[in-house]
Amino acid sequence: MFFHIVLERNMQLHPRHFGRDLREKLVSKLMKDVEGTCSGRHGFVVAITGIENVGKGLIRDGTGFVTFPVKYQCVVFRPFKGEILEAVVTMVNKMGFFAEAGPVQIFVSNHLIPDDMEFQSGDMPNYTTSDGSVKIQKDSEVRLKIIGTRVDATEIFCIGTIKDDFLGVISDPATAS
Amino acid sequence: MQRMLQLILDTIPNQSRDGITFHFLLSNNKMSLVTDSPVHSSSSDDFAAFLDTELDSNSDISPDQEEEDDYDTDNKRIKRCKVEVSESIEDPQGSTSHGDPEQSLEASVMKDVSCTHPGVMGGMCIQCGQKMDDASGVAFGYIHKDLRLANDEIARLRDRDLKSLLRIRKLCLVLDLDHTLLNSTRILDVTPEEEYLKNQTGSLQDVSKGSLFRLDFMHMLTKLRPFVHTFLKEANNLFEMYIYTMGERSYALEMAKLLDPGKVYFHSRVIAQDDCTQRHQKGLDVVLGQESAVLILDDTEHVWAKHKDNLILMERYHFFASSCRQFGYNSKSLSELKSDENESDGALATVLEVLKRIHSMFFDPELGDNLADRDVRQKG
Ligand SMILES: [Mg+2]
Ligand SMILES: [Zn+2]
Repeated sequence: MFFHIVLERNMQLHPRHFGRDLREKLVSKLMKDVEGTCSGRHGFVVAITGIENVGKGLIRDGTGFVTFPVKYQCVVFRPFKGEILEAVVTMVNKMGFFAEAGPVQIFVSNHLIPDDMEFQSGDMPNYTTSDGSVKIQKDSEVRLKIIGTRVDATEIFCIGTIKDDFLGVISDPATAS
Repeated sequence: MQRMLQLILDTIPNQSRDGITFHFLLSNNKMSLVTDSPVHSSSSDDFAAFLDTELDSNSDISPDQEEEDDYDTDNKRIKRCKVEVSESIEDPQGSTSHGDPEQSLEASVMKDVSCTHPGVMGGMCIQCGQKMDDASGVAFGYIHKDLRLANDEIARLRDRDLKSLLRIRKLCLVLDLDHTLLNSTRILDVTPEEEYLKNQTGSLQDVSKGSLFRLDFMHMLTKLRPFVHTFLKEANNLFEMYIYTMGERSYALEMAKLLDPGKVYFHSRVIAQDDCTQRHQKGLDVVLGQESAVLILDDTEHVWAKHKDNLILMERYHFFASSCRQFGYNSKSLSELKSDENESDGALATVLEVLKRIHSMFFDPELGDNLADRDVRQKG
């Protein structure tokens, strides 16, 4: 799920940037530092959408660096238990499969793949129904439900299921009709 | 988006909703932040706290509250149930049949009550998603860095694996790296007589053409054993293959790239030192194949103390001088003699014939229909 929130960060800036485009320098550094990172607390920072406020700078003794407290608006992405996500399958093995929804990695164990889908080993491992009409393999797109999330300082990992109504493959050409 | 936000706001109990210092303002279908009250420094903490309560609220929901909501037909409330569905473990309502779509949302979750927790990945049960912090079971780090499986689950997977392999007429083959499929040396240990090799290394961009590679970032020179490409290609038709080395994971993965640039042979089946459950021993306990259908190629016998019957002992491939010295040979190495094992009747070509024979004996149609009862160990 996406959220639009305000976060705060202390930005250290080198004295060489002190000029009339100081603010732009501060913002571009902020984007570089923050966008695409994952904070365990808030999820993934997808994009900075605005600067709320740049506080008074504090000059560091000895170095000349200045620390600015910057409040900024950003869109963050954080998955929740029970949430339905669409994800791309990245790896299939006899244990189940891994999928990615943006920066989030999700594992779907074979316990949570419908019973009529069986693992087929080979060069392109996959889960397939006995009539061959539905197949999950690398690069398939699936709709899944998150049943567990683990949020660490730098990554979010989820356990998902496709063993429920309206879940499963959404992109396989064989099923599209 | 608006609905999603409404939904998430609905999930926050009223008291705590008041305590949150940020508010979503929903206007013109656009989401923006209320900025009239200055956001003080604790706002991010409050948000985090809100997320944490969201995630850990399993025990916070009182049964009464749950019951009320379950019978509320208001659309938003149904959505709300959806969000909380995985957390309403103790709710007795969900144990009813699948007939009602609202109920079936919960039905899948109700299995949690009886979940045997077959395995743990990333600290969560792979079947019910519950947080699991104890480190029981066997680690399968080569499949995922923090995957552990219970013994029953391993047995179940092996059983399923055997069936799916036999269906496509394959067995399991576990391959050692050093001295079996290839020979590596530290660049530091290259002798003056071997210096010429440094000009003969193949491109790392297209490894399918070369057999000698210089891996500067690992300070190594690696020589693939003659015939290894043909060996892997043909063995792949008969076996599901694993790499199993006492080397480090990083080394094993680099070697896998040289042997299997197309990533068709090994997938995630690369087992290294840190996957072993016993020091200085290789074990089939971390291989998800049934022992009756596993063959092992290795030049070192003693590491397979528990699985001697599955092992086909390989003649050691010593290409580099350092490798010969390490094993106490004083004669010139193949590299120093500017020679190599024969491509067409070297050790790998010979053992491929043996593997083919075992495979065809295993699948011999004259032995009857029951493949599952057969055992490679009686044939080798
Ligand atoms: Mg060896
Ligand atoms: Zn469980």
